[in-house]
Amino acid sequence: MIEEAGFIDVEIGAPMDTFGGAGGEGNARAFGVYGYSFLAHKPG
Amino acid sequence: MAGKTPVDPAALREEVKSKYREVAVDPHGIFHFHTGRPLAKRLEYDDDVVGAMPDVAVESFSGVGNPFILRRLSRGERVVEMGSGAGFDSFIARQQVGPEGQVMGVDMTEEMLEKSRKTAAEMGFDNVEFHEGIIEDMPVEDGWADVVISNGVINLCADKDQVFSEIFRVLKPGGRLQFGDIANSNPVPDEAVENIDLWTA
Repeated sequence: MIEEAGFIDVEIGAPMDTFGGAGGEGNARAFGVYGYSFLAHKPG
Repeated sequence: MAGKTPVDPAALREEVKSKYREVAVDPHGIFHFHTGRPLAKRLEYDDDVVGAMPDVAVESFSGVGNPFILRRLSRGERVVEMGSGAGFDSFIARQQVGPEGQVMGVDMTEEMLEKSRKTAAEMGFDNVEFHEGIIEDMPVEDGWADVVISNGVINLCADKDQVFSEIFRVLKPGGRLQFGDIANSNPVPDEAVENIDLWTA
């Protein structure tokens, strides 16, 4: 989706257990949800 | 032009506003996500930087990743934060771009805007502004930003194609998008995708 918008050189960081120990942990575990950091560039 | 979306975008916006209004006015309430300093530590923000920030700048933080972990911002850069909330990531951005940079937060929740503006004034940041708007149509000139940041916001928008198109518009050529967000590795059933309540839970 990011590349389809025209961005290049997309990087994705390591998964983070964003919801671990929070009320939303159950849904997060059910759907394999983690937090990620993204970096992308608009062509120069 | 907006594409087909799984839920009504306006209805989803109202649900999101309602949820994050609570986070603004009652940051120590019970939510399905972590908030504040414990969350910042979980997401690997710099302890010294966060530790130096006043409680009011951190307590309503409710991001899901760390937009600065893959690359720091550079001094003097112009930054737009989409969905700036109470301003935590905008204040981190200000710390990185310095007094010669500019940070513009965009948020649609009145209580968050009020809180972020007050905190920016208390922190003495005259180059950090917060504007009312939605991230699918931001009040930002074409090509204004060196960097667009966001944290846990894009997943709350029904029309993601429009969001990325809008980011592309406000970035200058060669500009960067740095954001934190969630992604799922297991399939989500259609009935769950079409359930607005689950988008914010």
